[in-house]
Amino acid sequence: MPTSCILRPTRRALLAGAALLAMPGLALAQQTPVKGGTVIAALASTTIPNLNTQLTSATPALIVADVWADGLMTYDRDGKRIPRLATSWEISPDGKTYTFHIREGVKWSDGQPFTAGDVAFTLNAFGKFNTYLTKMMPFVESATAPDDKTFVLQLKQPLTATLDLFDKEVFPLMPRHIYEGKDVATHPANRAPVGLGPFKFESWENGRSITFVRNPNYWQAPKPYLDSVIFALVPNNQQALNAMANGEVQWFRPEVVQVPATLQAAKKGNFHVVEIRNNAPETAVVDINLRRAPFDNVKVRQALFHAIDRQRIVKDVYQGLADTAKNAIPVQFTALHDPALSYDTLFAYDPALAGRLLDEAGFPLKDGKRFSLELTTISASPYDAIGQVVQAQWKAIGIEVKLTTLDNQLWVDKVYNKHDFDASIISLTGRSNPVLGVDRSFVCNQGNVPYANPTGYCNPEFDKAAADAASAPLDKQKALYRAYADIVARDLNQLALTNAKAFEAVSNNFMNLDAQFNVAFNTHPNWAEAWLPKDKQ
Amino acid sequence: MLRVAGRRAVWALPLLLTIIVVMFCLLRAIPGDPVQAMVGDFPVPPAYRALIEEKYHLNDPLPTQIVTYLGNIVSGDFGYSYQNQRPVIGLILERAPRTILLASASFAIAIPLGLLLGVLAGTARRPLADKLLTTSALIAYAIPTFWLGQLLVIVFALQLGWLPTQGIGPMISRAHGFAWILERLRYLALPALAFAIHEGMRIARISRASVIDTLGQGYIVTARAKGLTRGAIIRRHILRNASLPVVTIAGYAFGHALGGAVLLETVFAWPGVGLLLVDSIRLRDNMTVIGIVIVSAIAVVVMNLVVDVVYALLDPRIRTAR
Repeated sequence: MPTSCILRPTRRALLAGAALLAMPGLALAQQTPVKGGTVIAALASTTIPNLNTQLTSATPALIVADVWADGLMTYDRDGKRIPRLATSWEISPDGKTYTFHIREGVKWSDGQPFTAGDVAFTLNAFGKFNTYLTKMMPFVESATAPDDKTFVLQLKQPLTATLDLFDKEVFPLMPRHIYEGKDVATHPANRAPVGLGPFKFESWENGRSITFVRNPNYWQAPKPYLDSVIFALVPNNQQALNAMANGEVQWFRPEVVQVPATLQAAKKGNFHVVEIRNNAPETAVVDINLRRAPFDNVKVRQALFHAIDRQRIVKDVYQGLADTAKNAIPVQFTALHDPALSYDTLFAYDPALAGRLLDEAGFPLKDGKRFSLELTTISASPYDAIGQVVQAQWKAIGIEVKLTTLDNQLWVDKVYNKHDFDASIISLTGRSNPVLGVDRSFVCNQGNVPYANPTGYCNPEFDKAAADAASAPLDKQKALYRAYADIVARDLNQLALTNAKAFEAVSNNFMNLDAQFNVAFNTHPNWAEAWLPKDKQ
Repeated sequence: MLRVAGRRAVWALPLLLTIIVVMFCLLRAIPGDPVQAMVGDFPVPPAYRALIEEKYHLNDPLPTQIVTYLGNIVSGDFGYSYQNQRPVIGLILERAPRTILLASASFAIAIPLGLLLGVLAGTARRPLADKLLTTSALIAYAIPTFWLGQLLVIVFALQLGWLPTQGIGPMISRAHGFAWILERLRYLALPALAFAIHEGMRIARISRASVIDTLGQGYIVTARAKGLTRGAIIRRHILRNASLPVVTIAGYAFGHALGGAVLLETVFAWPGVGLLLVDSIRLRDNMTVIGIVIVSAIAVVVMNLVVDVVYALLDPRIRTAR
């Protein structure tokens, strides 16, 4: 039974089979695919600096990369690894040697042959520039291609997350014949890429659209079936929704808070909403600045956590399309998450207890007030709405909260560079392994690195626990990540609020959508599976 | 007239110089990180940051940046957009025709609309009609263009489905010739209308005041005494004289619009200079921001010059005085 969910206006009640049967792509999935047609996909960004996702983690570039780039492996909607350009791989017993067997007979979109040498080149040339690989690169002893169909990665010490670092989203393959000997970081191919994906770059009309056409050298021939994919560049997601509702585009990715409006628009439009199975987390959090009193007192942080009704945030901000976060290791990491440790019980909403904790910490209520703090966030949805809920709830226990909502760049400067904040709200992508997206919230960050632990929390005990967990064998990791989560729950430099779901809206005209949307949380349709009947082209 | 143009151009040079220096100082003072904007919401690897900062001289001292920029601009080099990976001047030249099209279409509607309403209100025989027109114009003028734009999208695109919600044309078009023009006009209609309503109401208010002022002039009394019809008086005497302040206002507003109708272009995803400016500020693409500001300043200066010429054409007294 397929597990992608089609949301109709009655939403959660219709997540099951009946709704799936209503999906045109499913009903006619057995028909023979025909070639032709175009999908116009809306991207909520009109300027994209770089399409090469070795060099950027920006969401619009990641969405585009799914169309033109490919990698050694990926994940399906259940989080299961699927081979792509690597047909198989082996890990040595000491966990230090990874051998990937590379698919043969594959060509780049410009017709040049693809070999294991391209894989080794990609790691050697781009590894130090790739934000996701910063943890692995210091461990790399060598990355070599002993022959055209074998790629060998030799590590200095084991890193169990290594395979996850070769997911096609994190490590898209780059052509050696294009980049070798050139300045890879500013190469023109970063905006006119040559790749291994189902479509190849055709043109870019500045501020308006990026067009990809069928890659005649695609390794999964006869796919793709569509002639082209056009990304319509629009300034924001509301305009993407407008365009979808008016039939001007056939795909867009709504923000979670937009989903109810998108479902409403789908009533009149020829499209539906698909829930993407969430095998990676998007966690909204409050970072607390431990450099400042009284936030250096753990009782104060516990009180702040107890004072937040996270169910209220789920209901009011996310319209029920999120869950409360359970502990530092998100539930999506099924092999690593221990459900016995739950913030729902450990830090249950209890304003009275929060008050008592503050009393004990030396902040009794005086004239209805205990102390003041500044809560800062980006002036955008859903952060501002979360900020308002938290502000009201902290006020209820006598904390006067000044809510400061800022432009993204100003907020980054305030929180990560100047550390000029008491509490800060952000939503962070955890990707597919704690090493990739979760560690950054807790590992010591003495510098001014944006989007990495701004709280001043530096605990060698935790850093060692994170390193031990990352390098442990798979069967030992769960216990070690439980220890990791226990330390975070004890020290609480960050209050984890919610874990949001992910959705995409797509036209009913396309066939074979179930196969097309067999993607993980961080991936998007590559449009190799979907096809359009002749009368819809 | 040439002498006036030359004098204006000479005055414009120190103005542009000041703008460039002020913009550099302001942009340096505003917190922001263009390298982080390139990478997204994950930490920037130190090697990548170092490479980009060196490549685009992001950490050069401010005086060095200004002097280098001024030196380059003399040879027509407006800098390099690191968020678009191309020279700023090429980027602006690609976007500018779209902005010029939107501004021209808007003013082609706004000027006759504003003049018509202004003359109707100014010459209305019943005070109630004047008040009704004036109040309506004031209310329409008070509506922010971005909100008006959104209202137009909701009504004409989302509810009625008559027009597209945004953009300058369909992503796929098979139209040719006149059909192609009609297709493009459908995309131009809503942003041009939103802009035209706002600017038209401003012109209406100015022209009404000007018409009332003109009506009190002695030559109007003479014209009436000569037995000219009401229509002839309006056409020959009132309209021409009342249009002088309108030329000033419209010229200034048009010059300003050439620098990018920032909010409207964003609301309608109109990929002109205004939308480019918004993106460039968001991504801290400082060279592009400065380039657009310079082009806007030049547009205003040029339009003021054009206004002077039109003034002289409309009013013989100005021609003779010069």
